[in-house]
Amino acid sequence: MSFREKSAWITLVSVLICFGAYFAELFGGLASDQHHFGGLGSLHLLLLSVLALVALQVILTIVAALTTPKAGRGLADERERLIQLRSQSLGYHVLMLLAVGLFAPAFFGHRGIEMANFALLAVVIATLTVAVAQIVMFRRGV
Amino acid sequence: MALPIVNHIRRLRFEHGEMTQSALAERIGMTRQTVAAIEAGKYSPSLEAAFRIAHVFGVGLDDVFQWDE
Repeated sequence: MSFREKSAWITLVSVLICFGAYFAELFGGLASDQHHFGGLGSLHLLLLSVLALVALQVILTIVAALTTPKAGRGLADERERLIQLRSQSLGYHVLMLLAVGLFAPAFFGHRGIEMANFALLAVVIATLTVAVAQIVMFRRGV
Repeated sequence: MALPIVNHIRRLRFEHGEMTQSALAERIGMTRQTVAAIEAGKYSPSLEAAFRIAHVFGVGLDDVFQWDE
């Protein structure tokens, strides 16, 4: 597995774990009165999630670098650049679609930090889309 | 989807001192995985990359890649 494919897996796993936990806590608590969805509690959760994400990505990237031969850690070659371009294009379109979709929660009365969380969810989904697209293209050839 | 280009990279590697994919990749400035994808017909290299591969083996482009519909 190339270093860049490993990086895509690292992004997928770390974002799923850290922001999966964040949104599970956020949406899971909606049924109770002690949810943080629209309050400052979500900011504390977000900070924890971001710190966990950074820590996990740093650790896993170091492991990936140590387990990849030096030749595989150089500049991206033409195939890797093509995969990056195509996956980011797909992620961009997903993000644009979800951005338009933000009108839906706004229509139903969500405001402020609640809308910020919906926007963050859109960014997370787009990021996961990019990572999955890269992994599929690396596995398939391109 | 199979690409309409066949290549003889694997045979040429063996004919040139059993060159590994990694060695070829290093010679042409690509990753081993990209060379593997080219060999397997899963990725079409750029014209520059195709010429670099042919140059490594000291043969013409037609001896490495062929159009196959």
